[in-house]
Amino acid sequence: MEMSPLLHFVEHPLQLGCKVFMLSIYAYRLIHLFSYMAGGERQAPTGPPGTTRAKGVVYSWANIVMPWAMESTRKKPFYYIQFVIFHLGMVAVIGLTFIIPYGPGLLNSVGLVWVLQVMMAAACAVGLYRLYYRISSKHMRAISTPDDYFSLSLLIVLFLVGVLAAPNNIVQGEGALLTFFFMTAFFLVYVPFSKIMHYLYYPFTRYYFGKTMGYRGIYPVRRGYK
Amino acid sequence: MTTSTRSHKVQKVLERMGKKLNRQMFGSLVACVHCGMCTEACHYVLANPDDPTYAPAYKADRIRKFFRRHYDGLNLGRFFPWWVKARSLYTDEELEELKDIVFGKCTNCRRCSVNCPMGVDYATFNRMARGLLVSVGIMPEGVAHVSKDQWEIGNQMGVLKEDYLETLEWMSEELQDELGDPNAAIPIDKKNVEIMYTINPREVKYDPRSIADAAKIFYAAQESWMMPSEGWDMTNFGLFSGDDDLGGAVARRVYEKAVELGVKKIVMSECGHGYRSTRCEGPNWAKTDVAVEMESSVLTMLRYVKEGRIKVDKTRNTESYTFHDSCNNARSCGLFEEPRELLNLVVSDFREMYPNRAENFCCTGGGGAMSMSEYTPERLKSGKIKAEQLKATGADTVVTSCHNCVDGLTDLIKHYELGIKVTQLVTLVANALVIEKKEPASKE
Ligand code: SF4
Ligand code: SF4
Repeated sequence: MEMSPLLHFVEHPLQLGCKVFMLSIYAYRLIHLFSYMAGGERQAPTGPPGTTRAKGVVYSWANIVMPWAMESTRKKPFYYIQFVIFHLGMVAVIGLTFIIPYGPGLLNSVGLVWVLQVMMAAACAVGLYRLYYRISSKHMRAISTPDDYFSLSLLIVLFLVGVLAAPNNIVQGEGALLTFFFMTAFFLVYVPFSKIMHYLYYPFTRYYFGKTMGYRGIYPVRRGYK
Repeated sequence: MTTSTRSHKVQKVLERMGKKLNRQMFGSLVACVHCGMCTEACHYVLANPDDPTYAPAYKADRIRKFFRRHYDGLNLGRFFPWWVKARSLYTDEELEELKDIVFGKCTNCRRCSVNCPMGVDYATFNRMARGLLVSVGIMPEGVAHVSKDQWEIGNQMGVLKEDYLETLEWMSEELQDELGDPNAAIPIDKKNVEIMYTINPREVKYDPRSIADAAKIFYAAQESWMMPSEGWDMTNFGLFSGDDDLGGAVARRVYEKAVELGVKKIVMSECGHGYRSTRCEGPNWAKTDVAVEMESSVLTMLRYVKEGRIKVDKTRNTESYTFHDSCNNARSCGLFEEPRELLNLVVSDFREMYPNRAENFCCTGGGGAMSMSEYTPERLKSGKIKAEQLKATGADTVVTSCHNCVDGLTDLIKHYELGIKVTQLVTLVANALVIEKKEPASKE
């Protein structure tokens, strides 16, 4: 069965246009970031021998896979697990936006469809919990903006729709696929203006923080264990 | 940026923000995802669990909100401010409110920074915000006084040159009596020596014994050293006030004196913010490369023991000791192993405090908090965490390599009735020193 012209439009030209738009805003954002001078360090390095800028940067980047490195993740393993599941869900959604238009054959594998669906369903569940937590904790409410609530809600719905769209089965109707691709199109346009674009800055903020902390001998962190 | 509805001070703050921002700060301001992971890293939050306004991200957002309105490129804050809770500043009252947050609710300890998965360094842009307020004359009274003293008199406690020199003379006499050696004096402005020893003015005013202790150690190590008659204050209120001009001017005084006297090394007495300012930040504020080597006296003393230049007997320090890491030393300069190494060489009963090193909690006197008496009740309340940490060690004495921490801890210990003593490494090393008595030499 052939896909409808509308589905073709949202899967291909619309996605492409939105991706170009997103990348343009990202490019602008990076140019803007780099228009500010980086603060430098004139002093000689400090800290234990063997700590260097480079080691600090690597440690800082590797922080994402070292939940023991920070007290905040070490003491809250449940949070770290949520973080991993949620971001794996993102990988699945993004993967799906490429697989369906450019490699639909891959979805003939029931196993792959299942894996993607489980990843997105788990991320959806975590998202719902995070939303509940954001609303119920007064500390979280105090630091939340409408963008925080909206971005999280948007992703929860996207995960859900992703689960339905993953089989890429137009025989049973195009509703799920149309919804998924309209949502991803909106997502691509909205993300560069929202908190979700944090991943664009992430490598840079961690790079500079790691560089400073490495040069000053704080990274890699040493602590006296109890 | 329309000017009509804004006060002159607000206008200046907003304009100057653009000049103060650097790439790191910009990154920290745009990258927060409001995940709340830093919340429980802050001692203010832990001591005030019901008050979300102490959360680091909440405090950071008080700065972020006007940043988003004016400097965040294409962020929604520029076009739909309510969507990201962006808001510009308009009145002097708003600046006063901001002052109470950036000075009164954060000690710039950087503990939230090392606990942020995004690498957001709130403490750094909190300092920037302090500097912006100071530039328009909005700051706690204590900050204004101390800054003025440091600009005008050359040290942050307004110690006059004659009082400083008199104290050194007095300490020299004490040392000569104690050691029975008339040559055991503190050399002043001696040229081309190895070490120029710089101190915290608090030592002159309240703790001159620490100067005599250091002199005794230099004497025992037969060091070629001296103290300068000017440029001796290695503390720097620019770190706390966020005023890079003051920071640069103060640091430059020390560097220039060292160069003028032709010394090889500047050694700083035990002071966290002094060490950080002079050793780690000063060259950047002063925009100068410093040709003279610099080190903390902790490293100097440790070297003396390791090289056998001084002998110590750890049984002379008979109590149980724990160690408090100054935030500036541990989280901004990587100075945390050497004090422990030295401590273990001069005491027999050392008990680690948890968490420690770069994860240690602030003594609550950081960020210049000791000079801001209007926030004392909040400070003491936030000290609950440190007090619990101290108590858990069961130690008689807490050792710290920071004069500010000595005051902060002393205050907390009194407030929470912990009955713990506070001391510094220099005192313990001096007490443990084994000096063979020389035959009394005649004064020439
Ligand atoms: S941990 Fe970092 S990203 Fe999360 S709320 Fe705190 S500052 Fe923001
Ligand atoms: S720098 Fe320290 S005092 Fe300030 S918010 Fe962060 S943890 Fe709290």
